[in-house]
Amino acid sequence: MSDKLKEIINKQSDQQNPDLTNLDDVVQLVGFIIGDEEYAIPILAIQEIIKPFAWTRVPQVPAYVKGVFNMRGSVIPLIDLRLKFGLNEQKHNDETRFIVMKVGDEIAGFVIDRLTMALRIKKQNIGPAPDTIDREDSLIDGVGKEKDRIITILKADKLLKRDF
Amino acid sequence: MDEFQEILQDFLVESFELVEQLDQDLIELEATPEDLELLNGIFRVAHTVKGASSFLNFDVLTHLTHHMEDVLNKARHGELIITPDIMDVVLESIDLMKALLNKIRDTSTDSGIDVAACVIRLDKVSGGDNDVAQAEPASTPVEVEEAPAEEELDYDNMSDEDVEAEIARLLNERQEEDKAKRAAKIAAGESVPQAPPSPDEVSSETPKEEPTPAASPPPPPPAPPAVKKEEPKPNDAKAAAPVKKATTVEQTIRVDVKRLDHLMNLIGELVLAKNRLIKINDDVEERYEGEEFLEELNQVVSIVSLVTTDLQIAVMKTRMLPIGKVFNKFPRMIRDLTRELNKKIELEISGEDTELDKSIVEEIGDPLVHIIRNSCDHGIEIPEVRIGAGKTEGGTIALKAFNEGNQIVIQIDDDGKGLDAEMLKDKAIEKGLISEKEADNMSDKEAFLLIMRPGFSTAAAVTNVSGRGVGMDVVKTNIEKVNGIIDIESEIGKGTSMKLKIPLTLAIIQALLVGVQEETYAIPLASVLETVRISTDEIYTVEGKSVMRLREDVLSLVHIADIFEVERIMNGGEHAYVVVLGLGTQKLGLIVDTLVGQEEIVIKSLGDYLKGIEGVAGATIRGDGGVTLIVDVVAIMDMAKNVKASSTQNSTSNVEQLTQEKTKSSDYTVMIVDDSKTDRTIMTSALKPLGMTLIEAGDGQEALSILKRGDNHFDAMLIDIEMPRMDGYTLATEIKKYSRYKNLPLIAVTSRTGKSDRMRGVESGMVEYITKPYSADYLSSVVQRNINFKSEFLS
Repeated sequence: MSDKLKEIINKQSDQQNPDLTNLDDVVQLVGFIIGDEEYAIPILAIQEIIKPFAWTRVPQVPAYVKGVFNMRGSVIPLIDLRLKFGLNEQKHNDETRFIVMKVGDEIAGFVIDRLTMALRIKKQNIGPAPDTIDREDSLIDGVGKEKDRIITILKADKLLKRDF
Repeated sequence: MDEFQEILQDFLVESFELVEQLDQDLIELEATPEDLELLNGIFRVAHTVKGASSFLNFDVLTHLTHHMEDVLNKARHGELIITPDIMDVVLESIDLMKALLNKIRDTSTDSGIDVAACVIRLDKVSGGDNDVAQAEPASTPVEVEEAPAEEELDYDNMSDEDVEAEIARLLNERQEEDKAKRAAKIAAGESVPQAPPSPDEVSSETPKEEPTPAASPPPPPPAPPAVKKEEPKPNDAKAAAPVKKATTVEQTIRVDVKRLDHLMNLIGELVLAKNRLIKINDDVEERYEGEEFLEELNQVVSIVSLVTTDLQIAVMKTRMLPIGKVFNKFPRMIRDLTRELNKKIELEISGEDTELDKSIVEEIGDPLVHIIRNSCDHGIEIPEVRIGAGKTEGGTIALKAFNEGNQIVIQIDDDGKGLDAEMLKDKAIEKGLISEKEADNMSDKEAFLLIMRPGFSTAAAVTNVSGRGVGMDVVKTNIEKVNGIIDIESEIGKGTSMKLKIPLTLAIIQALLVGVQEETYAIPLASVLETVRISTDEIYTVEGKSVMRLREDVLSLVHIADIFEVERIMNGGEHAYVVVLGLGTQKLGLIVDTLVGQEEIVIKSLGDYLKGIEGVAGATIRGDGGVTLIVDVVAIMDMAKNVKASSTQNSTSNVEQLTQEKTKSSDYTVMIVDDSKTDRTIMTSALKPLGMTLIEAGDGQEALSILKRGDNHFDAMLIDIEMPRMDGYTLATEIKKYSRYKNLPLIAVTSRTGKSDRMRGVESGMVEYITKPYSADYLSSVVQRNINFKSEFLS
């Protein structure tokens, strides 16, 4: 009896949870891991996510710019976020992905260690970036809190901006 | 308003075309002042522009063209002989007309340019200050009479439908006329305050204009096609000239250049797809040799590639313009220059039908102006000097254009005094452009090219025409921009010949693919003069730069790996290939490891994120789907100056890693390459007691990729000979290409025991040859010997 009751109550409380999809104050993100940290990017900035394939090295660029690759006839730069964030380079494995981001006309592929999941985070659960970080130049848009995790939300437009 | 804009647009396009023709005709007219057909043509242009501009309320333009028309009309009726002085005035008025048209294009009004002075001069020419008003009624009625006379003639030959059409046309014309009249009235009314010289004159003129639109082809009334075709005929009959224009009326439409660019992009994609298809076809052919369906596939692939090529050429042609568009302005320029410089110069133009891509035609206008001015000013001598030198009084400049392979050659020859190499050198030293040492080593040809250096001018005095030392520099910059090459030949006293070699198009190019280590780069073929294979000891070092001797010249060299920061892992070998690049006036030898071949490539940009990388002009996508960078020859020429000689050095840093101190038995790493799992297990179990690290690979390719990954430093490799994908010999040969693995012991483990097999093994770089079957102890001892296994690790 008590079990069944609990189930029903649980169900009801589930339904009472505000339907996140219909609300404007929810941000949709795609989460991914680089090193030990989880990051996220607004889903609308992502054009596609692909498995790694061959690229061509380009001279006279910082190490984090791996080169260029061909995506259905377009030549797209490839940027390794591990290197960009100051981590060691890692061999690509089965979980490595290229996230192709596009904001306006700017487009580039980013190497990430692995994908986590698509996230919906309420705006009220997103805090500002720590004060110690210069707001203008920062790649960090904010920090999302979800259950027991803390996710760094990145600015896609800043990532796509050439800084060398 | 939109409709007005549209009409205005049409008016401008038409007028500019007419004016361009006008320049040409007027120069011809000066040579043959009696040519009635030409005169009529010129008159018609002035008249058409006048008619249309009055309709569009451009009063200043109307005023000017009206007076031009007067002068021309008189000439047409033999009342006036065109002398050079009269021609000067007429040409001046045409320049003003151009200026006005430009003004209209930019601002949609024609105010702000003063034509009064020119109009007065025109009036003087046409016979006294006040004659204008009287001359006019005399001239215009003539035409009115003329026009109906011909049209009546035509009616006899017309079918019923044509007559109907003709009636429709006349009605249209009447309406047009009425409109024009109304417009003119409005114009007259409005223009009273602005019209520069005498407002009365303008208003008194306007009524007289009415008959004229009917006389000559009206601007463009929407006449039925049947009549349109006949229209040129009466005109030509009037001109008493052979029927020429009627047959050359071409069917054309105007297309926005953007649409053509888009089309070109699409074709580019298609070319890439075609390249891929050809590659896949080759692979399939190899794999399924002798299968029947191959025949069919082959046919389809060749048809697709054929059609793609044709399509590409066809679209390229739509973007082509005859070079005559640029050449046309030179007769006028030469005429002005001869009068200014008091020289006699004749211009001979040939090959004006040669076609070039629109974007290139736009780029070469300026350089040609500078070259021709230069020839007039410095090249051709004044008549007295020429006669003194035993030449004809007048000089000749020949302007030629012709196709040569994938290039267009524009050649400018003059029979002037020629270039003096020694004088040029002295001048360059004086101006500090070159050192004396450089001058001594310079060939005559190189000395001629000095005139293209910025800040170089040999004219003793700065004249209006040239001598400011900027002109020829522009030539070099612009020609380099379109990947062209400049070649100068000259003989003192005989003349100078300058050749500009320009590629046909810019979007899709032929490229030479070269390999450096494991990378491939594309070099625009237009910039490649030749390729040579040299041995490494032909490379000399002079002042820290690599150079080589190429026939007569000393060619400076640079290794492509230094420019593109390629890591040298593989050995160069004793031979190197040198790609000789030529651009504008410079030459450079680019050392590469291999020549891959020639391919048609589509230039793609690297995008905003990576734009502006020095030395990279863009990228292209190859048949295998990979991206290949395109070498920017202009930038490389510059970069080469800062690269130190390192062309022949090989990196040795990696060798040290191979001799790292071993502290425990697992520091030793051995790779086992065998396609049979059983064999691998046997070898593993034989070596396991030694405690060393063992890594297995299933075939040659796998082994190679493990090596390339560089995760481990191998001390030895056990290699089976018979393997799928890549056999043991090939693997050994491949491994030995890497300098860091030069000393890696390769041990063949095989059941092949023939002497020739052993020989092949040695040739490919194997150090030991173990035949199957073998005992575990034997294998173990061979490995130990080859890796200098320290016995203290043996427990």
